[in-house]
Amino acid sequence: MNKPCVVPALPVIADAAPVERLAALFDAHYDRLYRLGRRLAPSTDDALDLVQETFLRAARRPKSIPAGVTNEEAWLVRVLINIRRDQWRKESVRARHREAAVQDGRHDSNARSPEAGLIARAAVWQALDVLPPRRRAIVVMHELEELPVSSIASLLGISAITVRWHLSKGRRDLARALKTSGGISHE
Amino acid sequence: MNNLRELLQDADPLRHEPGRPAEQRTLRRRAVLAAARRTPASAVRRPRSRAAVWATSGLMLAAALALGAVLWSMFNSNLQAAIRFEVRMAETRPAAGLQKAKVAGSDRYVYLHRQVIVSNNDIAEVKVIQADTPSQYGIGIKFNPAGADKMRRATRAHIGKPLAILLDGQVMMAPVVRDAVGGSAMLTGHYTKAEAQRVADRIVKGIGMQ
Repeated sequence: MNKPCVVPALPVIADAAPVERLAALFDAHYDRLYRLGRRLAPSTDDALDLVQETFLRAARRPKSIPAGVTNEEAWLVRVLINIRRDQWRKESVRARHREAAVQDGRHDSNARSPEAGLIARAAVWQALDVLPPRRRAIVVMHELEELPVSSIASLLGISAITVRWHLSKGRRDLARALKTSGGISHE
Repeated sequence: MNNLRELLQDADPLRHEPGRPAEQRTLRRRAVLAAARRTPASAVRRPRSRAAVWATSGLMLAAALALGAVLWSMFNSNLQAAIRFEVRMAETRPAAGLQKAKVAGSDRYVYLHRQVIVSNNDIAEVKVIQADTPSQYGIGIKFNPAGADKMRRATRAHIGKPLAILLDGQVMMAPVVRDAVGGSAMLTGHYTKAEAQRVADRIVKGIGMQ
């Protein structure tokens, strides 16, 4: 998209109609943010709150959101991760979330899997809680969303080397956490 | 240890949870937009939830174009005549087979594809909706299922490029497609309520004439 085409359209979106722009942002990015949020937060409700808070920040700072779908997404993803990081830093919140994650896992598995599988799954997911949110987001984006390192780097505005470092550290921390939890067998 | 990716995929809550509740999404959306309306930037506006629903149900088309001269002549020429409404895909650069067109009220040019995506006959409903200030109005256009489907298919393949909205062959707006959308469109501009109503009536009048 080149500039002459965007300029006349954006002033209304950015300045004259912030609510409409926010609505458009919500419609365009909600699903993507929910998927990431759900994988960072311990429960569905926490994920919904996280996504809502992300859009509320967007509502408070409409002018700081860059133009363009990719830039918007990057901005929103970073805000979401920052919010999650603030939550994670509060130890009490973190502890509660861990508990919720286990409960969630149990609830799910009752419906469709044997208890052992459920516990193992919950243990794996719970192990992710040892990772700081940004690192966790990088692991999630790489391992579950299967985004290449370069895409994650540009999305988060960091270098590919930093992404690789987080991935490597994240894998190590996860392996250690899984070993400690005993939920997963080792080779 | 098992392959990390496989372990995580197996434990991924999104894989095991039921689909995301649509009503939750709607509730959250409403809460966010309500909060946005309370922010200082928009505090002066009157609540307009219906307008917001119209404006955002899929496509957000917006442009602050100085339509005065064009619209004025349009209004005065023949108040009762039908207006031909068309949406066509456009490009920002010339290419073979594209038609150069000036966007009303700006110095911008876009290059129109010949194919008309939707026209008056694809419209289910036209409404006057309040824009950003109490004295300004826009026109919300809701497409029928066939029209919405055509819009969705066309915009999906056209993200990041302009979409031209034409009234009687004149490009009124050419906003950039942000996402695949279908259900509705909104024409914004510096319309008074009466002007917006006249244009809306004339678009409706064009239904079935093409």
